[in-house]
Amino acid sequence: MPPSKGKLPEMSVAVMKTKAELALAEQFANLRGTLPGAPEVAAVREDAIATFAELGLPHRRIEEWKYTDLRAALKEPPPPAVGETVGVPAAGIAAALGPFGDIAASRIVFVNGQYRPEISIFDGRKGVSVSALSQNFLKLVAAGDDAVSALNTAFVTDGAEIEIKPGTKLAKPLFVVAVAAGSTPRLSTLRHTMTVGAGVEATIVELYVTLPGADAGGQVNTLTEIHVGKGAQVTHVKAAVDDGRATHLSNWIVRLGAECDYKGFQMTSGLALARNSITATFTGEGAKLDLSGAFLGRGSDHIDTTLVVDHAVPRCESRELFTGVLDGRARGIFQGKVIVRPKAQKTDGKQMAKVMMLSPDAEFDSKPELEIYADDVVCGHGSTAAEIDADLLFYCMARGIPVEQARALLVESFIGEAIDKVGHEGVREALGKTARDWLAAVAI
Amino acid sequence: MLEIKNLHVKIAGDEKVILKGINLVVPKGEVHAIMGPNGSGKSTLAYVLAGRADYEVTEGEVLWNGESLLGMQPDERAAKGVFLAFQYPMEIPGVAGLTFLRTAANSVRKKRGQAEYTTPEFMKVVRARAASLSIDIEMLKRPVNVGFSGGEKKRSEILQMAMLEPTLCVLDETDSGLDIDALRIVSDGVNALRSKDRAMLVITHYQRLLDYIVPDKVHVLAHGVIQKTGDKDLAKELEISGYAAFEGKAA
Repeated sequence: MPPSKGKLPEMSVAVMKTKAELALAEQFANLRGTLPGAPEVAAVREDAIATFAELGLPHRRIEEWKYTDLRAALKEPPPPAVGETVGVPAAGIAAALGPFGDIAASRIVFVNGQYRPEISIFDGRKGVSVSALSQNFLKLVAAGDDAVSALNTAFVTDGAEIEIKPGTKLAKPLFVVAVAAGSTPRLSTLRHTMTVGAGVEATIVELYVTLPGADAGGQVNTLTEIHVGKGAQVTHVKAAVDDGRATHLSNWIVRLGAECDYKGFQMTSGLALARNSITATFTGEGAKLDLSGAFLGRGSDHIDTTLVVDHAVPRCESRELFTGVLDGRARGIFQGKVIVRPKAQKTDGKQMAKVMMLSPDAEFDSKPELEIYADDVVCGHGSTAAEIDADLLFYCMARGIPVEQARALLVESFIGEAIDKVGHEGVREALGKTARDWLAAVAI
Repeated sequence: MLEIKNLHVKIAGDEKVILKGINLVVPKGEVHAIMGPNGSGKSTLAYVLAGRADYEVTEGEVLWNGESLLGMQPDERAAKGVFLAFQYPMEIPGVAGLTFLRTAANSVRKKRGQAEYTTPEFMKVVRARAASLSIDIEMLKRPVNVGFSGGEKKRSEILQMAMLEPTLCVLDETDSGLDIDALRIVSDGVNALRSKDRAMLVITHYQRLLDYIVPDKVHVLAHGVIQKTGDKDLAKELEISGYAAFEGKAA
């Protein structure tokens, strides 16, 4: 349509606040005096809620949120569970952890966004300090520049503060567990800060689950910042595993020191709405990043993985492999941006997103973006969406495996390619079990 | 006994007819070789026996121990004892070899009314059979065929065959891509499975394999029909004369 000759309307017209935006503002106003933290923290919260008031919920006309219109999707944000404590028996925690419960690990547990020492386990390993943000809440720094991060800063109630001293080799993984509990849906807002010293070897697992029997329609807004020291070898898994009604908004911010080897894995299973935003920045030369993930969607699940890998320095390697399985009317989104800055020569980056479609009504949107400003680099990306491979299915059946079992095996193997990248055997097996449990509930 | 009667096969959704009236009988206890030039329909015959969906049988029948195979799904055929060793074994990333072998072996055992293997039983059997094929058990902890050499893939096929204990073994160009040492290992594995209760159909382009797996009969397949049948010496004649005599000899 040609531009109208008349005066164009101003673009900065005040947009009507949605019901959810108004509810969030009201919730903040009501909680203002009760949210934890020192006066300095309260001031940062005020700034953040002001930023949110300006930005509003992200919508489809914002490029990064093109496929995930939170303004349309978030109808009634559940209220934060400030000042209420829901009882969680030890057996309940074990059930909530599912296959992850069998892994010998230290764990810090948050229930509805509040630290719960009585169900946390620390074995006091030397070189590691784990505490809860709420125990000494003197400072809060705004992170990220989007509305979801602003909401995180405004509403954050707790989170893990982890420091691993240089040279420490952790024998057991460190779990950060967020449990939704209670009979009404709640908002849990968590901020995890992890500082991993030089030469550290560690496995960190963040787990987001709902207590069996509890209302599973809640929302998590979580923001993790991790600084990886020189030469550290870290496996970092984030798993959101639920039964199909919860909303999961996640920001994962990684800063990679020189020569480190960082393997990140994101599992998303059974979320009605998930936005997993990952930002990884190379700050030292010669580092390796291996990011992978599996997202499993059915019904009308909507799972968005949006990542930015920033090669700011030379000689770093990045690998991304995300696999998804979509059934019903589920929608999967993968947006992967790789930036190679002018100075980042000898960058080696490869990205792949693969989806298996189990239903003709499922949808996968993939948007890879390479922004390369250096000339001596190797970068590539790919994306596929396919059904179960007929030749492989025949091969399995020719070996006597019945069709349903063969299909399940092949879907499992498809996801397995990404899960196999997780180095810790127990964690890898628990992720595999999570995928199998999800598959068993889907009539393939 | 395998009985193939007047078998006509075309590619599904295509007019191209590949098999144009195959007649073949392989009694239990015998090994028959099918030789023929490229494009003669050898692999099609193998796939049709195993039940691949891309083909359409337009005429004729295939009986195994008197029972028609053609209406059965591939997994039912496997339970009835049919095994196809693929020319190009598939890679299955994300599924460990041992998991695959155990799933397959227990699927057919269940359908045959045999007790499923327990883990210790299975490990004992698989260790012994892998060792006889010079397959390192560590290799079976890796995803099925992923990163395997040509020879490793063929040995892995024969191990699957040994684990499934079939009664009709169809080997499709099992010698392709094998060096002489691998050929010997694979052939020894196949020969170890020769028995009076088992029929074997060995499909090959070259006579070489038949020095190791000596057939009871040799059939020449060209242009979709069996052109000639003889004993093992027919293979040697073909080695000298080639398939030229059968070129242009359409049915």
